[in-house]
Amino acid sequence: MMELLVPVLIMGGIGAVLASVLVVAEKVIANYGICKLTINDKKELHVQGGKPLLTVLREQKIFIPSACGGRGTCGICKLKVLEGAGAILPTETPFMDQRELAENVRLSCQVKIRNDLRIVIPEELFSIQEFQTVCTRITDLTYDMKLFRFELRDPPEIDFTAGQFVQLLCPRYKGSPEEVYRAYSVASDPQQKNAIELIIRRVPHGICTTWCFDFLKQGDPVSLNGPYGQFCLGDTNAPAVFVAGGSGMAPFVCLLHHMRNKGIKRKAEYFFGGNTVKDQCLQAEMSRFEQQLEGFKFIPVVARPEPDSGWQGETGLVTDAVRRHYTDLAGHEGYLCGSPGMIDASIKVLVELGMKKTSIFYDKFS
Amino acid sequence: MKESPEEKRLEETLRSSQMVAGGFMGTDPRRPLEVIEDDEDLLDKLKLSIHTLGRRMHELTDLAIPQMGNWIDDPRQSRLRVKADDYNGSLVCPWPHPGSYQKRITTVKDKNTGRIVSWTDLNIHMIEAHGFFEGKGAFFRIEPAQIAAILFPDLT
Repeated sequence: MMELLVPVLIMGGIGAVLASVLVVAEKVIANYGICKLTINDKKELHVQGGKPLLTVLREQKIFIPSACGGRGTCGICKLKVLEGAGAILPTETPFMDQRELAENVRLSCQVKIRNDLRIVIPEELFSIQEFQTVCTRITDLTYDMKLFRFELRDPPEIDFTAGQFVQLLCPRYKGSPEEVYRAYSVASDPQQKNAIELIIRRVPHGICTTWCFDFLKQGDPVSLNGPYGQFCLGDTNAPAVFVAGGSGMAPFVCLLHHMRNKGIKRKAEYFFGGNTVKDQCLQAEMSRFEQQLEGFKFIPVVARPEPDSGWQGETGLVTDAVRRHYTDLAGHEGYLCGSPGMIDASIKVLVELGMKKTSIFYDKFS
Repeated sequence: MKESPEEKRLEETLRSSQMVAGGFMGTDPRRPLEVIEDDEDLLDKLKLSIHTLGRRMHELTDLAIPQMGNWIDDPRQSRLRVKADDYNGSLVCPWPHPGSYQKRITTVKDKNTGRIVSWTDLNIHMIEAHGFFEGKGAFFRIEPAQIAAILFPDLT
């Protein structure tokens, strides 16, 4: 028995000593001190070394989009690191193509700042700001969608293009001990710079939507950052076909405000699909837009109206209604927002009806 | 057996609630590898492979997607109805490899028994690629015996 126990104890002791040495070394040797971050060869930041680049940039109010919270699993937080990052890690290479590898693109969440770095950040990301807001209104739109209004406190105003989105910081709450960011399209009038409105659909067991629906109250502080995204109305006079479903309504409300503000008179027909009559929303607001915008028409579509609903409008899938409505879409532009299934089906129908693929713009839920 | 650093990191990620509410392990005290091995044993007893199961889940999800949240009868097994609801956002695979999946919930109902099973696109991937059905108590834990009873009743 002792013959077995002694070597086990010796090996265990050696392991414990080595672990202690590593802990001490991490604290003493791995003190990277102050490191210089040179951004786009224009700006220099002096930061404490030892943290991931993504975290340090966020602390410096430079927001790099990321979906996984810095765990190295989404591959979104890519940046060019020209000098100082060392060899690319095995956790990064699966996300990179040959061009990116050649251009020193790295996942900013995986690059630990150990020395001076020279990095390139796309200019558009510098316009992204963090906003401290207060939730001032929560309105039920359907059984699973709500409109949330956030009034900006610091900074007090935001500039965004109709169609863009923001990220909402979901704080820790009972059952969700970690902060997460989630992206939502802006639904409010871009001219109204002191507030942001978001249309959010509840995701079953979703971290952020559960907080928004079950915990967030009027008067609560909320942190947002943005604006992000390139989904916007093209600068042409081509007649437009809008297609959306669910919370895909949000960017179109914003685009319609923009069209009214700018006096855009282009023809636009908006097909909004829902499975039942209960999935339809904002009909009064759409009627107002029909009165204010000369060429605008709202066409709600219900796949399977409830028998007692008295629904008189279009029925079937939203793509069925588009097909019934048009025979030739050559020269039109398509704007789509919704699920990948709806967008793929809509693109197929629009192209079959003669619309050029290059004239179709979409914001997929992804 | 002691966990390797990679297994430890994976377990931390699976237990974290940063990617999905409540985490992928739920309240399950077992290590992820134990969960995977125990579920593998259950499937072996049913003589059902994860590939066969994954393929059938894909088939049903693909059948439902064009219906945009509406029910459709399965032409292969007429007792089954299926629908797929899409939500804003994506779910990222917690394993250290690229993998982002649409936030979509497929629901299958057995019209004869009334039994229902639901899964996400990420569930299909985690079952096919990692043999992982999630831990007990996780919101999207799929019980191998329950899903087999609905999709492959001849085996149960």
